[in-house]
Amino acid sequence: MSGASARRSLQRRYTAAAIAAGLMSAAFALNGALLHAAPATTLDDYGQLEDPALQARYEHITQDLRCLVCQNESIADSNVELASDLRRQVREMLVAGKSDDAIFAFMTDRYGEFVRFRPPLEPKTLLIWGAPFIMLLLGGAIIYRVVRQRSRLPLDDEPS
Amino acid sequence: MWKFILPFAAFIALAVLFAFGLNPHRDIHALPSPLIGKPAPLFKLTDVEDPARIVSNADLKGQVYVLNVWGTWCVACRQEHEALLAISQQRVVPIIGLDYMDERPKAKQWLDQLGNPYMAVAFDTDGRTAIDWGVYGAPETFLVDGSGRVLFKFISPMTPEVWEHEFLPRIAAARRGGA
Repeated sequence: MSGASARRSLQRRYTAAAIAAGLMSAAFALNGALLHAAPATTLDDYGQLEDPALQARYEHITQDLRCLVCQNESIADSNVELASDLRRQVREMLVAGKSDDAIFAFMTDRYGEFVRFRPPLEPKTLLIWGAPFIMLLLGGAIIYRVVRQRSRLPLDDEPS
Repeated sequence: MWKFILPFAAFIALAVLFAFGLNPHRDIHALPSPLIGKPAPLFKLTDVEDPARIVSNADLKGQVYVLNVWGTWCVACRQEHEALLAISQQRVVPIIGLDYMDERPKAKQWLDQLGNPYMAVAFDTDGRTAIDWGVYGAPETFLVDGSGRVLFKFISPMTPEVWEHEFLPRIAAARRGGA
C-alpha cells in the first residue's frame, strides 16, 4: 500500500468517525430535547392549576406524600387509583384556600405520620432525624480510637 | 473486659432487632390506623344495589358494628367472603359493606352469586369516604363501638380465627363498657 492511499484510507476513517460522532451527539441532543419537551405532567387529566404559585405548592405537597399502596413512591409519581384520589384531594384543598399545614394534617389524621416522606421534627421523630448524626459520632469515635491505637504502635516498615 | 461485653451486647441488640423485624407473622405493609379511639367518620352514600336508598353509619349510633371495605376487583375480598358469610350468620353485630373503586353491576353480581353478608352496602363512588377512613387497600375491616368510636382496624382477609380472637373479645368488652 502506498503512502498516499494509506493516508486517504485513514482520512476516510476519520470522516466516518466524525459523522458517527456527529450523528450520535445529534441523537443525544434530540433525545434531551424530547425529554425536556415532555411537560412535567400530573398523571391526571385536570391539567395544571391556573395559578403558578398554587401549582408549585401542589407539586411540593404531592411529592412529600407517600402513596400508601406502593409505599416508596410519592402520590405525585404513582398512577394507582388511590394516589389519583389523594391528588384530587390536595388539589381541591389548595383551590379552597387551605394551607399546606392543613393539607398535611388532613392526610396524617387519616393515614398517620407514615404518609409524609419528611415527618416534622418532633420529640417522637427525634430518633429518625438524629440517627445520621448519632451514626456519624459513633463512626468518628471508632476511627479516632483505632487511629490513636495504631499511632502508638512502633514503626516497623522503616528502612533500617 | 469491654472486649467481651461490647460484642455480646451488640449481638443481643441485633438478635432482638431481628426477632422483631424478621418476624414472618408481621405484615410489614399493614399500617397502624390513626383513627383508633377517634370518632368514626360519618358517611352518607347510596346503596350499591339501589341508588335511591341512602346508607349512612349515622343510623347505627348506639350499636357496635363492623365496616368491611371491599371491591369486586379485590382477590383477597373473594377469599374472605366465606368467613364474612359465616360471621353474619352468628348475628353478633351488623356488618356494613363499603364497596370501593367498583362498579354497581359487578358488585350486584358478586352479592347475588356469592351471597350477601352485609346489612347494607354503601357505594363509595369517588373514594372520598375511603380517604376519610384512611383506607389504602381492600379488604380492610373496622370495628366501631356504640358511641361511634373506632375500636380496631384489621388489614387482611378476615378469617374465623381473626374474628374469634381479635373481634369478639373487643365486641364483648365494648358492650360491657356500656357502649
